[in-house]
Amino acid sequence: MPPLEHVLVVSAILFSIGVYGVLTRRNAVNILMSVELMLNAVSINMVAFAIYGRVAFDNTFTGIIFAFFIVVVAAAEVALALGIVVRLFRNRATANVDEVNLLKW
Amino acid sequence: MSATEIVFYCIAFFMIVSGLGVVLARNIVHSALALILALGAVAGVYVILTVEFLALTQLVVYGGAVIMLVLFALMLTRARERPQALFGKNRPIAFVIAAGLLTAFVAGIVASEWATTNPDDIEPLPFQEIGDVLFSAWAVPFEVISVVLVIAMAGAILLSQPDQGEQ
Repeated sequence: MPPLEHVLVVSAILFSIGVYGVLTRRNAVNILMSVELMLNAVSINMVAFAIYGRVAFDNTFTGIIFAFFIVVVAAAEVALALGIVVRLFRNRATANVDEVNLLKW
Repeated sequence: MSATEIVFYCIAFFMIVSGLGVVLARNIVHSALALILALGAVAGVYVILTVEFLALTQLVVYGGAVIMLVLFALMLTRARERPQALFGKNRPIAFVIAAGLLTAFVAGIVASEWATTNPDDIEPLPFQEIGDVLFSAWAVPFEVISVVLVIAMAGAILLSQPDQGEQ
């Protein structure tokens, strides 16, 4: 298996790509995809710590359970957020986040 | 370098390339397809880390459900109509922020000392242990998360229903 640091660096790269996507993309669905990338990067971290630290932490592997919960919460989040995006498109005829400035004053 | 490591670096490279595809693709449908590849590569990393259960969950939930929802949302919002305005105005700032974040992460990872076992001594984690823990110590969070999922589904249906008087 690769050393822990390499797994962490890979997930850090994936997380940074996700951050870049969230900050640059205009389409709300595309921003959601970038958020998914970030969530997955964090999950990789959790799993890596759980696996590599299993002996050090007395054979518990809470990180894997957390990664599992992240998957479930991400599914719920995507369902809700896409519902909001579809709603937004129906009301404002756009899915671009910078054109939705209802709360701007 | 063992075979597992070589496979890991290939998968990692593939994951990063498809992640860049998600963020940089000119066509939004293409970035959704790149997202499938990226999430599949994450499942591959889970297999390398000997957590096959999570890899299967990842493939079923992300590869099946989430991508389907994303593609349906793209279809319903007709995102392909205006391809010229994909990116906002703040790309340089965003690049600086992302690069700075990455540098900070890598510096922190390299500078830290990790109390890990030797990677070659790690035993694969059997399915059964995950199941035992999930349904004993984590039983209450497990039930709560299923209620959360039901509420989210009901909320999504409610949100996307048309208003009264609306067509």
